[in-house]
Amino acid sequence: MTTLLQVDSLCKSFGGLQAIKNVSLEVEDGEIRGLIGPNGSGKSTLFNLISGVYKCDSGSVRFDGADVTNWEPHDIAAKGVARTFQLLRMFTEMTVLENLMIGQHCHVQYGPFAAVFGIGRVAAEEKRLRDEMMELLSFIGLADFAEVPASEMSIGQRRLLALGRGIAMKPKLLMLDEPAAGLSPVNVDNLMSIMVQLKKRYGLTVIVVEHILKVVMDTCERVTVLDHGEKIAEGSPAHVRDDHAVIEAYLGREMDDEEVRAAMAG
Amino acid sequence: MNALVQKSTASLDALKRIHPLMPWFASFVLLLPLPLLALNDYQIYLLNVICIMIILATGLNIVKGFCGQVTVGHVALYAIGAYTSGVLSVKFGVPFWFCLPAAIAVTMLAGALVGIPSFRLEGAYLALATLGFAQSVEIYIRVTNYLGSASGLGGIAPPSIGNFVFYDYFRYYYLVMPFMLIAVYASFAILRSATGRAFMAVREDALSAAATGVNVRRYKLIAFMLSAVYAGLAGSLFAHMVPGYVHPNNFTVIEMVTLLLMVVLGGIGNIWGGIIGAILVTIIADLTRDFYFYQLLMFGLVIVGTVLFMPKGIGGIIDRYFVSKRFVAAREKTAEQKRAEAAAAKSGES
Amino acid sequence: MKRHILGLTAAALASSVALNSLSAAEIRVGATMRMISENGQKYGEMVQDEFDAINAAGGINGHTIKLSLLNDECKSDKGVANANKFIHQEKVHLLIGSTCSSVSLPIVDVTAQAEVPQIIPHSTNHQITQKGSAWVFRVPISARYYKGVVAKYVGDKVGKKIAYLYASDAAAVSDAEGLQSQMKELYGVDPVYSAQVQEKEIDFRSHLLKIKALSPDAIFIAALQEPMARALVQSYEVGLPASVKRLANSVASNAPVPAMAGDAIKGVFYTAAYSDSDDRPIAKLFNSMVKQRYGISKVDHDFSQAYDLVRIVEIALRNADLKLDDDNLKADRTAIRDAIAGVKDYQGLASGPISFCADPTPECRDGNRTVVLIGYKKGGEDFELGILDRVTMPVEFGLEK
Repeated sequence: MTTLLQVDSLCKSFGGLQAIKNVSLEVEDGEIRGLIGPNGSGKSTLFNLISGVYKCDSGSVRFDGADVTNWEPHDIAAKGVARTFQLLRMFTEMTVLENLMIGQHCHVQYGPFAAVFGIGRVAAEEKRLRDEMMELLSFIGLADFAEVPASEMSIGQRRLLALGRGIAMKPKLLMLDEPAAGLSPVNVDNLMSIMVQLKKRYGLTVIVVEHILKVVMDTCERVTVLDHGEKIAEGSPAHVRDDHAVIEAYLGREMDDEEVRAAMAG
Repeated sequence: MNALVQKSTASLDALKRIHPLMPWFASFVLLLPLPLLALNDYQIYLLNVICIMIILATGLNIVKGFCGQVTVGHVALYAIGAYTSGVLSVKFGVPFWFCLPAAIAVTMLAGALVGIPSFRLEGAYLALATLGFAQSVEIYIRVTNYLGSASGLGGIAPPSIGNFVFYDYFRYYYLVMPFMLIAVYASFAILRSATGRAFMAVREDALSAAATGVNVRRYKLIAFMLSAVYAGLAGSLFAHMVPGYVHPNNFTVIEMVTLLLMVVLGGIGNIWGGIIGAILVTIIADLTRDFYFYQLLMFGLVIVGTVLFMPKGIGGIIDRYFVSKRFVAAREKTAEQKRAEAAAAKSGES
Repeated sequence: MKRHILGLTAAALASSVALNSLSAAEIRVGATMRMISENGQKYGEMVQDEFDAINAAGGINGHTIKLSLLNDECKSDKGVANANKFIHQEKVHLLIGSTCSSVSLPIVDVTAQAEVPQIIPHSTNHQITQKGSAWVFRVPISARYYKGVVAKYVGDKVGKKIAYLYASDAAAVSDAEGLQSQMKELYGVDPVYSAQVQEKEIDFRSHLLKIKALSPDAIFIAALQEPMARALVQSYEVGLPASVKRLANSVASNAPVPAMAGDAIKGVFYTAAYSDSDDRPIAKLFNSMVKQRYGISKVDHDFSQAYDLVRIVEIALRNADLKLDDDNLKADRTAIRDAIAGVKDYQGLASGPISFCADPTPECRDGNRTVVLIGYKKGGEDFELGILDRVTMPVEFGLEK
């Protein structure tokens, strides 16, 4: 196994608040990695640093053999990093299908104005993209809503759509920011089964931030735990579950270890 | 109504099957005899004005409607197109067919200039910056003797092909209408390709667009430059139409408000809407010529009313009609599937 | 919604058709003017009221005049649209317009192409009559006459030793340099003194002392309102005698200048086509009529020109042999054009006679060439004006040879 993502001593502060302190992280190719930690522990900030939304103060990010530290978000996306947002940020006025097709932006084989002159070529390419995306829509179960604006979708459907947009980008690494937030238990199960299939079907490496620990514990091979911007533990779900520092950070000392284990088991 | 829509959609599809450009060719053929139906030269003149306004409004719709950049500098780009073409024609005797591409090129560069503030500014702040640009251009023209200053620039030669001169409104229609169709076709083609999707993504959520791989600055710049190409084309066509005269008063905030009205009333982010808006507003403005005192007030009220009560304009309402039909169909299909599954499960149990 | 759009389009078409049903016995006149300011609106009303009065008194040889009035907001595109609507849709026999030169200029080309007579109420730009159109007539005084009238008056009546003091604003520079070059051209004289000062300069005494030592015939001051007022006051402070005439550019016509300058403004004049201090009986009658009808106490020359225009049109229409049916539209338009060209020595409110002739040249079509010089008799808030002189310019004045 080769290292796909290598984060080295990353630091980021906002004003006086140090949001990320010296975090290092390695993600193997093909791995499903969980990223957990209490609220405000820096998980989303780390996502934003890796995907180029924030610029880091020091440290480096290497991805797929290149130093992508502080690259522009669209360049990092083009390099093969896709992400979803906690608040979804779907293109609500665009149709469901268009939301997926925009994911393929980096893979479009024609120039910005080609559509005016290269009628046949562009039409063929558009048809190919469309067919491919319809297939993806069937996979996430939204094929019937292809021509409906994303704004008409429920939260659950939008979470699926966000996931779909990430897949559509054909990335090497897919970073999911709380994909299960606000989903009904049935949909959470559905999501988990899709996540497991991602690796098989699309060969994706996945990093997932999730509050519903069941999702992380059941799908991830390894889990990294952040607290107050620092990495406090890393290892298999079972290992992390038993780590005292994690339990302390996560739930304070009010509960005893048994209770915590029960909570983490979902 | 339903039958009519179905019938026209079906015939459109039939045309497309022959060749993707067939509907456009058909529109061209349909538009050819229009001036013959006009009752007088004034109506042909209005047809020409409508064509120019459609080009202008389509350009504004690209940057404002599709890419979501709030610009009020579009009228200044229109002015730059008109004056570039006019100066080349009057001062250097350059024929129209060279003035036009030059005007488009110069306007496109100016469009890039207007677009640069959009990298950092959004919404009302961008509107203010572009307003500043528009005012500067108008004032610059007003005080520059070379451009005719407040006396205007006259004597811009009408276009010609060989000995055929487009000197009257009837002939000019056959110049301006094809340009309009080409411009509208190009906007459809571009906006329905990946470029249009990138514009919309930037409009909807710039951060999300960037994370999806869209170079936000690049596409903002492309949108501004593309809209400027439309403004340059419209400006050049306006300048060379009889009586071949341009004046800074033609490019003020009032013209910008009228232009905004076309796009807002017709439908922001909807090309058909912008076209309907351009036609309607030009006709209404003509019919209300007698009520000049209240015209601007009326225009302002219509803008406010549209934004409040039908934010997507007329085009949005038409779109909505089709969307809701599709949505209902999709929902029914899913419900039916569920019922079928439930029935299957039931029969399996029993 | 679609049905609504169809409805609207139908309504639009229907109303266009309605406008097309023309009444044959009327003389159709279209007027496009700038009617956005209060006075602008009143000029339009005056034209309308005067035509109404003609109709009320029995019309023209039994025909009534149907006037359509549209606002062009001083915008050339709107003016051209109005003109096209009048000419092609309402099929007018005569077009009046416009207020602004920038609107009249392009309309000249429209009327020339469509062969419709156009008579201009207010525009002064010299190019309007230099395009060679046989269809255009101008009631106001051309800018080419205004440009030279000060030089002509000064050279003939005041003297040729002129000192110039002018600020750096665009109008002041062009007025001062224009006068200098015309004095050179007409009389072959150079300035005895010429100084340009900063736009906001307020102390002119060192210049004025030097000028005093040169004892010129007149001093020409061109500046913005406040500096002009200060320069005038300071010219008396440094002891420049009253025998040295004080001249100024048109900024002097703004009310704050006499208020600030006080009696130092005395003798300063500006130029126009009409003065409300004109004491001819017709002028007095006109002033009181405008005041009564429109509540305007300061009657400017745009009122008098609108009035003169209607009178000239009335004379021409009475003299024209009009058929007023659809077949003779072209002939009627030509007849009206020729009738206006036939108006000679019209004596109205204008300060001198107005005459036109048939050639499509500025000599024939700039009918009015008598400028009135309006001088201050008293300064202060309640300043008084009087007619200093009337200068009739030579017909060919200001034309390029």
